[in-house]
Amino acid sequence: MSKVEMQSEKSEKKKEWEPKIIAFLCNWCSYAGADLAGVSRIQYPSNIRIVRVPCSGRINPYFIIKSLLRGWDGVVVSGCHPGDCHYVSGNLVARRRFAILQDLLNLFGIEPDRVTFMWSSASEGDRFANLIKKVTKNIKRLGPNKKFESTW
Amino acid sequence: MEQKILKKDQIVKLYNHIVKDYNFYAPIKEKRNITFKKITNPEDIVLDYYNSKVPPKEIIFPQTDILFEYKINGKEIEIEEPKNLEEKNIIFGIRPCDAHSFVLLANFFSQGEFNDEIIMKRRENTTLIGIGCNTPKSTCFCTSVDGNPFQKEDMDIFLVDLQDKYLVEGITNKGKDLIKQFSWLANATESDLKEAQKLKKHAEDAIVTKLELKDIDKILDPNFEHPVWKEASEICIGCGTCSFLCPTCTCFDVIDENVPNENRGRRVRIWDTCQSCLYTLHTSGHNPRNSCIERVRNRILHKFCYYPKNYGMLGCVGCGRCVQLCPANNDLRVIIEKIMEIKPKKEEKITV
Amino acid sequence: MVIEDQNKEIEQLIRDVARKLLKEKEVDVILGYTKGTIPLTSLPIVIDKVEDVDKLIWNNLCYINLAKYLVPRIPTLMNEEGQKLKVGIVSKGCVGRALIHLSVEHQIDLENIKIIGIPCNGIINRKKIEDEIGEKEIFEISISGDNIVVKGEDVEQTLPFNEYMNELCKTCQVKSPPSLEGICVGECLENPIIEDDFSDLADFDSKTPEEKWEYIKSLLDTCTRCYACREVCPMCYCNLCFVDQNQPVWFGKTTAYSDIFTFHLIRAMHMAGRCVGCGACSSVCPIGIDLNLINRSLEKIAKERFNFTSGIDPETLHPMMAFDMEDEQEFMMEED
Repeated sequence: MSKVEMQSEKSEKKKEWEPKIIAFLCNWCSYAGADLAGVSRIQYPSNIRIVRVPCSGRINPYFIIKSLLRGWDGVVVSGCHPGDCHYVSGNLVARRRFAILQDLLNLFGIEPDRVTFMWSSASEGDRFANLIKKVTKNIKRLGPNKKFESTW
Repeated sequence: MEQKILKKDQIVKLYNHIVKDYNFYAPIKEKRNITFKKITNPEDIVLDYYNSKVPPKEIIFPQTDILFEYKINGKEIEIEEPKNLEEKNIIFGIRPCDAHSFVLLANFFSQGEFNDEIIMKRRENTTLIGIGCNTPKSTCFCTSVDGNPFQKEDMDIFLVDLQDKYLVEGITNKGKDLIKQFSWLANATESDLKEAQKLKKHAEDAIVTKLELKDIDKILDPNFEHPVWKEASEICIGCGTCSFLCPTCTCFDVIDENVPNENRGRRVRIWDTCQSCLYTLHTSGHNPRNSCIERVRNRILHKFCYYPKNYGMLGCVGCGRCVQLCPANNDLRVIIEKIMEIKPKKEEKITV
Repeated sequence: MVIEDQNKEIEQLIRDVARKLLKEKEVDVILGYTKGTIPLTSLPIVIDKVEDVDKLIWNNLCYINLAKYLVPRIPTLMNEEGQKLKVGIVSKGCVGRALIHLSVEHQIDLENIKIIGIPCNGIINRKKIEDEIGEKEIFEISISGDNIVVKGEDVEQTLPFNEYMNELCKTCQVKSPPSLEGICVGECLENPIIEDDFSDLADFDSKTPEEKWEYIKSLLDTCTRCYACREVCPMCYCNLCFVDQNQPVWFGKTTAYSDIFTFHLIRAMHMAGRCVGCGACSSVCPIGIDLNLINRSLEKIAKERFNFTSGIDPETLHPMMAFDMEDEQEFMMEED
């Protein structure tokens, strides 16, 4: 069998559910890190769809909640390491916001691993890939996000 | 038509008969509140209650009402009208004040070319089996607004609670025809009728809140800028509970929702309140009703001045929900008393 | 001292202080509570004459947080020229906390206010009393000794006050307003220190996410989106609430559970570290939804993460107004 035929057979057999994960990456560190992973041909799961923001401090908790409402199975938010923010303190402001949001999501019964916060710098292509692998594994374990399926 | 008797232990039989052709709405206890819901298990029906918190207007005018759904297929748009409008409904256990509110709602929603087909269709397909109030609450004042705890004209079938049974009277032809289907109902006796009369008198005497409302619209009209409005609204927090739970309030908002990536969506109508600070906010930024003073004034004028002018009857049914549930205890009865103390002025002609 | 006698003392304290403030013209008006027109309520009242001081009462049904009447969005307490009046507010602890926190957020100027501190002994849980009495109308409610006496149609019951108190009152540690020099009169708390282990939340915290989801859903799903909770809360003073935004429309306004969930989740997020635990939201809900669990959790988040309790110190910034390099980040994901 040719390679192409083998691959198409594989994808036909594997009709299992693939999570859709939205990733908000800060432009200066995390997005650059993801780019580095790509350029270095480091493999990581293709379940994530990246949204580039100037800074993790730009992330309004509404984005995260709206993503869950829209049916995204997982949300990843990534910024620069504390102390390394391009805008000096954007990620520090964001960190407090994320802490409160994570606690509240837990309170209301959203599984803790659906929404993930992480720091990843521009030179850490490896780290980015590893963290995304971990997130995808978590979301696959949790299953699809059915809580907000529209009833109409 | 002769009056009949429905024993309370026959209600399940009644339900089983009716539910074949109708959606049966009756009071149940949900989360510790009495509310009118569609019954699937007749054992859930509660017969010992004053009235529901949320008025039964939500059956024909729901809090979340889908006006239409649409699907986009390429260049074609498919519109789907709301389903279930042809379904027939019975509301069992509605009180005379709420039954009268259905008349007021119909006045509003059926104005000529602005006829609201969806709501009026539901109203047409709804039959009211009401129960007179043997023990009105101290906050009820239906007798002050041309009503009565045993008012039956606005219902299709009127029941009187005689302890272990109901006296059944068909009022409209719709109601009488329905009663004919229940051939197993016993006939009422003379003593049943006498008992009902006694209960009616007892209920009328039990109403303690008596408001003087003669010509209130003539007092309200020239007193738009009277200082009474500041007094009436000083403690109002503008929460809108009064309008949400008022059986005659009709304000609504219309919002559009869509499901992205699926090219479909719907238009939804939801309840709104004139007490919201955004209600009259213009796109220019100007807000003619910028404070609670104007908003409380608007609500009172609507019920007691504008509605009588437009429809020839008061816009309030005296159910007392706003009095019981106002969080700041801004008592409507106290406000009405203050208004009636204003000496009627000669009507001033407004020149433009 | 039993509750009944405590109430008499508190009432006397309110009237004495109010009389003094009005006589000496230190305030233009007093904002307090008077007897409601129906049982289970109290009526907020504004008085400007010394003769009216005896209308002021205290009766464990004073659940409205009076600080709400001072936020800029409610322009009631002004004179003819549109200037703010000097107000003396009858303040239980949560009202005082609300005033202090509003001044931290630059919404009110404490210089124009006199906080009449009282040692609040708790607010009656109206819904719980109504549940207990059932469908009978309540005609009278009074305090006798340490009990609540409820008289209604064919019913009279005596209920222990401690059990029929608002849930948030049971764990309250700031019963009087924190003391502020020159602003607080009456009885105030000197140097309040909040020690709380939040053990009442341990039961809920141990539930699985699925159990929590079901619990919260059963709590909230009859919400009718009337926004009474938002309007009565002194901390909700935005000119345009997030649900009303339409450029863009963020979240739905219908009674579908996904919309109800979103409203309460985001409102809780906006209240984190700002809620003063007055319980007015639960007291005024027409459906009787008890937001106690959510509000207590908000206090826990603020205390355990940032060692912050709202409305204690007018100089301490709210945690969301600041940041620290050393903030905890145990919730951030790390590589295996």
